[in-house]
Amino acid sequence: MTPARRIAAEFAASRIALAGLALLALVLLAALFAPWISPQNPYDLARLDLLDSRLPPGARSAAGAIHWLGTDDQGRDMLSAILYGLRTSVAVGLTSTTLALAIGVSLGLAAAWFGGWLDALLMRIADLQLSFPSILIALVLLAVLGQGLDKIVIALVAVQWAYYARTARAAALVERRKEYVDAAVALAFSNARIIFRHLLPNCLPPLLVLATVQIAAAITLEATLSFLGLGLPITQPSLGLLISNGFNYLLSGHYWISAFPGIALLLAVVSINLVADRLGEVLDPHGPQR
Amino acid sequence: MRRLLRLLVAGSIPWALAAHGAELRVGLAADVTSMDPHFLAIAPNINIAWHVFDALTHVDEDTRLIPGLALSWRAVDATTWEFKLRPGVRFHDGSELTAEDVVFSIERTLKVPNGQYGIFTRRIVGKEVVDAHTLRLKTATPYAMVPYDLNSVFIVSKKAAARSGPEDFDSGKAMVGTGPFRFVRFARGDRVELARNDAYWGAQGGKSAAWEKVTLRIVPTDPARLAGLLSGELDAIEQVPTADLPRIRRDARLNTVQKVSWRTIFFYLDQHRDRAPGLADKAGRPLAQNPFRDLRVRRALSKAINRAAIAGRLMDGAAIPASNLVSPPVFGYAPDLAPETYDPEEAKRLLAEAGYPDGFAMTLSATNNRYVNDEQIAQAVAQMFARVGVRARVETLPLNAYLPKGRKGEFAFAMFGWGSFSADLALRALVATPDPDKGFGAFNWSGYSNRQVDALLERAFASVDEKRREALARDAMRLAMRDHAVIALHHQVATWAMRKPLAYAPRTDEFTLAHQIREK
Repeated sequence: MTPARRIAAEFAASRIALAGLALLALVLLAALFAPWISPQNPYDLARLDLLDSRLPPGARSAAGAIHWLGTDDQGRDMLSAILYGLRTSVAVGLTSTTLALAIGVSLGLAAAWFGGWLDALLMRIADLQLSFPSILIALVLLAVLGQGLDKIVIALVAVQWAYYARTARAAALVERRKEYVDAAVALAFSNARIIFRHLLPNCLPPLLVLATVQIAAAITLEATLSFLGLGLPITQPSLGLLISNGFNYLLSGHYWISAFPGIALLLAVVSINLVADRLGEVLDPHGPQR
Repeated sequence: MRRLLRLLVAGSIPWALAAHGAELRVGLAADVTSMDPHFLAIAPNINIAWHVFDALTHVDEDTRLIPGLALSWRAVDATTWEFKLRPGVRFHDGSELTAEDVVFSIERTLKVPNGQYGIFTRRIVGKEVVDAHTLRLKTATPYAMVPYDLNSVFIVSKKAAARSGPEDFDSGKAMVGTGPFRFVRFARGDRVELARNDAYWGAQGGKSAAWEKVTLRIVPTDPARLAGLLSGELDAIEQVPTADLPRIRRDARLNTVQKVSWRTIFFYLDQHRDRAPGLADKAGRPLAQNPFRDLRVRRALSKAINRAAIAGRLMDGAAIPASNLVSPPVFGYAPDLAPETYDPEEAKRLLAEAGYPDGFAMTLSATNNRYVNDEQIAQAVAQMFARVGVRARVETLPLNAYLPKGRKGEFAFAMFGWGSFSADLALRALVATPDPDKGFGAFNWSGYSNRQVDALLERAFASVDEKRREALARDAMRLAMRDHAVIALHHQVATWAMRKPLAYAPRTDEFTLAHQIREK
């Protein structure tokens, strides 16, 4: 069996993980095709009507459209807003994690390979950053940078790179003592080639597990920042902002404005975490817990 | 998350009307930044100051002037006002109030570093203490507004506040006034604690002595403030979230009172500069000229706004569509003006006539923590503009970031709210041609300038005859509104809620005064 097939088979042995994977696929498809499956473009202000505001789930708008999940205080269709919000959340999660992974792993491997002052410098920076709560760092960054999707991604990358750098360095320090690395050095390969062609593939499993978990963390952090009113503009709500908007209406009985985006966020994060957990077990060199 | 949890828990606790004795706990909506009554002229701070201090003149629930520490006042001649102080008024430390304390307080407003109360006292050029209870104030030119301006000047004790800065007020050292409550403690961002002043001059038949102890809790989060009232943690709250009004009215354990506020919400449109920030055609190219300089465009945007829908849907009835820059109970309101009718077709026609058949793009700036539902209103207005072809990008900021940007002229179209004792004062701040020496146009972010309006205001301020002054103020209001100097949206309706059997006479100035909250 090839390693990929072995991993797939072991992954599939867990029903919960499979359910998580199916859910994740659903979330990803919904996010990807949001513009085509949404009943309304929630970001086009001309399509919204204040007279349709705060309609309960299943109610008909003045124009006759059914709002299956109700509308918010601007008359925005909640289902459409959630699909678009999911799209934003997933995009932000994937982009920021990929960028943070690339930057963090490069720095971590370099620190492990070259050692010395470079190692000390990078790891002290990482230590310093990890000693602050990530939400605090993101808040400060966004206060300085301002609003926007790109700003949120920058803030999330800045918060996350240290985890990858730490993990990559730890894994690489173990690997670099092994014979195959000595052999590569003896063959006088370039540093870059040894780091990326020899060290990296052998350090990858724990990093992949970390990355999957971190996607969920990034999505949660983005939602938190949006809930606090930082990040995305109010006319293009992400899930966190939708929840925050609905928060004002919780006591007045308009539960759907907050509850449905909350459930969507929950499903996205849980599905990613289920997949990440199983992946962690399967990729663990000591073998999966059966 | 903790907020949410607390809220859910609070909502589920069974109602228990505990015996609170003579303590009153009030939930305030806005953060209090300083105790010094001569430092920052913002409503939350002034609200606290009214508990500890008095001014020479007070206002009633309809913002009409009534005697305060001054029993009477009169214009001796065109540039001199004489105030007779109430005899026998004592400060919290037992010393008697004299004209010297008043002179000291007026002078202090001009001395506090970065203090914002100088606008109320700068016109006073001469102060003459006739005797311990008589004071004459002189202005350089005839100025009828001295008694109104002095409503904003809190009288502090010369003995306690001499050489005191804002930090001495925060600590309580200089917090010695003549008001209904003595200051106990200020915990920033959390609460202000007060104790009854048993020797209060305003106590009639022991009425104002209803509360031995008052705690003013600062709870800016709307649902949290409401949850505090529902759980019995607070006895009364201000600024009841509008979405919850129907539910609160149904609650038999609560009293709600409402009154149209003096606060009018409106939009500035920059009609001064040829190029204003954020204006472009829909492809993003800069416009040849500033469309807001064209009266037809200003009228079109005003007609595009469905004021009734905003008042009904977004505000749940807690707003009255506006035709004036002051609300109906206020001096100088012009009752013959009517709110702009909602007419999107006419708006499109006017835009086409002005040369914008395809509309244009703009930035709509607004606060997100100052006015009732400000962020939602900004979005709704952007939505209505989109229907007549004008694309508005909504940008919202917290007040402390918003104000400096507005002053620097970084907004082309911006939401704001204003409350004044009278139409001439509101117009002076909002639409008069800017002139720092005269205190004109301090908040004229539109850059509107009309010599006729300025002249009418000058004449109003020089008129001691109130009837004549009101007529002049109304004329100025009609001119400014006809020109669409700003687009008036609505007057807020202020709402208070409290546990029964408490009652409160609702105030147009939106202040929440603990000594006026009483057991029925």
